Amino acid sequence: MNDIHIFNLYAMATHFEARIAGEEKTYAAQTAQAAFALADDLESRLSRFRANSDIARIARLMPGEQARVSEPAFACLETAKKMEMATRGAFSVCASALQSQAAPPQWTLLKEQFSVRCDSGKLEMDLGAIGKGFALDRMAEALREWSCPAFLLVAGGSSVLAGDAPAGTAGWSCGLGDDQSPVHYWLKNCSLSGSGLAVKGRHIFDPRTGKPARRENRAWALTDTAAESDALSTACMVLDEAEISEVIAVEKTWLVFLEDNGTARHLGRRALPARA
Amino acid sequence: MVNSSITRREFIGATAAAGAGLMLAPGAKVFGQTKSANGKLNVALIGFGAEGRVLMESLLVIPGIQVVAIVDIWPYARTYGQRYLKAMGHEVKAYENYQDLLAGEKDLQAVVVATPDFWHAPITNACLKAGLHVYCEKMMSNTIEGARSMVQTMRQTGKLLQIGHQRRSNPRYIFALNHVIHGGKLCGRLTAVNGQWNRAVSEDLGWPKHSEMTPAQLAKYGYKDMHQFRNWRWYKGMGGGPLSDLGAHQIDVFNWWLGRPAESVMAGGGLDYYKPPQFAKRDWYDNAMVIYEYPMPLGVVRAFYQVQTTTSAGGGYYEYFMGDDGALKMSEDPRITALYREARAPSWDEWVRKNYIRAAAAPPAPADAEKVDVRETAQLAKYDMNVSFNEYIHQPHLENFFNAIRGQAKLTCPGDEAFRSEYVIHKANEAIPAQKRIAITSQEVEA
Repeated sequence: MNDIHIFNLYAMATHFEARIAGEEKTYAAQTAQAAFALADDLESRLSRFRANSDIARIARLMPGEQARVSEPAFACLETAKKMEMATRGAFSVCASALQSQAAPPQWTLLKEQFSVRCDSGKLEMDLGAIGKGFALDRMAEALREWSCPAFLLVAGGSSVLAGDAPAGTAGWSCGLGDDQSPVHYWLKNCSLSGSGLAVKGRHIFDPRTGKPARRENRAWALTDTAAESDALSTACMVLDEAEISEVIAVEKTWLVFLEDNGTARHLGRRALPARA
Repeated sequence: MVNSSITRREFIGATAAAGAGLMLAPGAKVFGQTKSANGKLNVALIGFGAEGRVLMESLLVIPGIQVVAIVDIWPYARTYGQRYLKAMGHEVKAYENYQDLLAGEKDLQAVVVATPDFWHAPITNACLKAGLHVYCEKMMSNTIEGARSMVQTMRQTGKLLQIGHQRRSNPRYIFALNHVIHGGKLCGRLTAVNGQWNRAVSEDLGWPKHSEMTPAQLAKYGYKDMHQFRNWRWYKGMGGGPLSDLGAHQIDVFNWWLGRPAESVMAGGGLDYYKPPQFAKRDWYDNAMVIYEYPMPLGVVRAFYQVQTTTSAGGGYYEYFMGDDGALKMSEDPRITALYREARAPSWDEWVRKNYIRAAAAPPAPADAEKVDVRETAQLAKYDMNVSFNEYIHQPHLENFFNAIRGQAKLTCPGDEAFRSEYVIHKANEAIPAQKRIAITSQEVEA
């Protein structure tokens, strides 16, 4: 059995956890600290509640204005834009803006200037459904940089990002749903995120209509990166099953699980991980 | 961009007023040769550690600034910096040390120094003498003598030296000082100040396995090993510990807002927590409590400062200015900032009408003058300041530096002004082992 060291951080209104296998404890702790420092840094750039963050600065733009943002913020928004297009608008970082604006605000990324331009409305972005996943992806880069490839990163219990498997194992055993879930898979070098209404109630809005999510049961997404799985699982809460099938048909690395009568059905072309 | 409720003219006026008490060093000039051939200010960042990276983000968004080089003795940091900047569309040169930078860059106007403290004075002095304007992070130096030499070089060369107490250029701080403390005198007679920055326990800083520098490389720059290089803040001869790392910013606000340095200091503290075998041996105090005394025209103001190693749940970081009419809890973080009015204070309605402040939670007005409901003691009336700015935290201070180079502004924290704060912070670190009140004369705080 591997020694697995577990470290914790509270940031982005979320409990982050880093599990590191196959490494001496002090070095693992310093590595986790470096990864957590990244998460803290990302919060200062991505939180809409931080007055001088990139997201807060973007929110003050008037139509036609643009603001240069940091590299991480731009990269996160690039992924957000990609996921918005891939999910046909079912995921949007401006989903909650429809609670206060008549039409969804429009924005453009200007790669040459590393800037965000406000095209219309007020860019009230909430990166809650992608920022934590993005943070996990960046933390994973740091762990690999520090030569700690066997890790599991957890954000708030709703997103995990698995690195290499601990030595001698098939991966990290991750379950779908509550503690003691009967459905566990061995995960390595992939991310699993879940969305649902059980913990936070009806907090997910359909960016296309502004109305609360239709899905009553949980949805999970398994992808290569945590930013994608975070956004895709959220989108699955507002898409019906036929729409989900269409969305994930174009991306062979995506797999979706839908909760159904106490079990989880899967959709998509990605091979199922081995059952743990 | 400043909050629209305060006009730009008012803000500029506020900035000028705040800077009025600060003077350029005697003999300081703004030279005509303040631009590069491309019309921009060419800037190098010396020290690409955690603080350097924060400053870089601001440098990249300030118009008219071209970052042309980064400097760091650690190859890992240089590689990271070049890679990061390339991803942002900037090709920059990377140098191991400032001597190589000065030899290699011939069209440079300014440097930003964010190295460990004990390198600030040698680097700043060399760059000023090379004809460059310098923005240097606080502390100015790990020694009073080092800091004094920087001011002297600033005066000798006539070049600008801005010290990185970024609150001095923060529009919220300038607004609070000009309109809340001075203009409206909303706090009345100030009697006490309380500042703090407490932190949770953290590990020693490590480094990726493959990134270690050789003993010879480390020794060349004054470090005995990688641990000391990464954790220099905790070692005497290199940094000043938490009191200078964190306290310097806030104690500088004490001096700035009270308009003078303290006349005495006493302090308690120690190296209580970070001890072997759990942690590598350190030098500096991990807990400190300091009391400064400021003789003011209406009476003494005592200012307490604490920096502790225990918990991150200590209420955040702030400077709390308390008077007989009101209290302003000021912080770089607007979420922590709060302004309270005492029941005895004159009405603040005028300031609300002027849109300088807004009521956040007012006590309920009595519905009937002949009746009263008896319940818990009412909360003090709470107000917010109606000002914000749409920039990174360090950006206004860097902008002030660059505008001063262009002859469009006065520095908000020139070296000689910063030295006064520097001095009393060093004295706090002295007061802990001395275990006695240390008097500070008005002469000794001058560089």
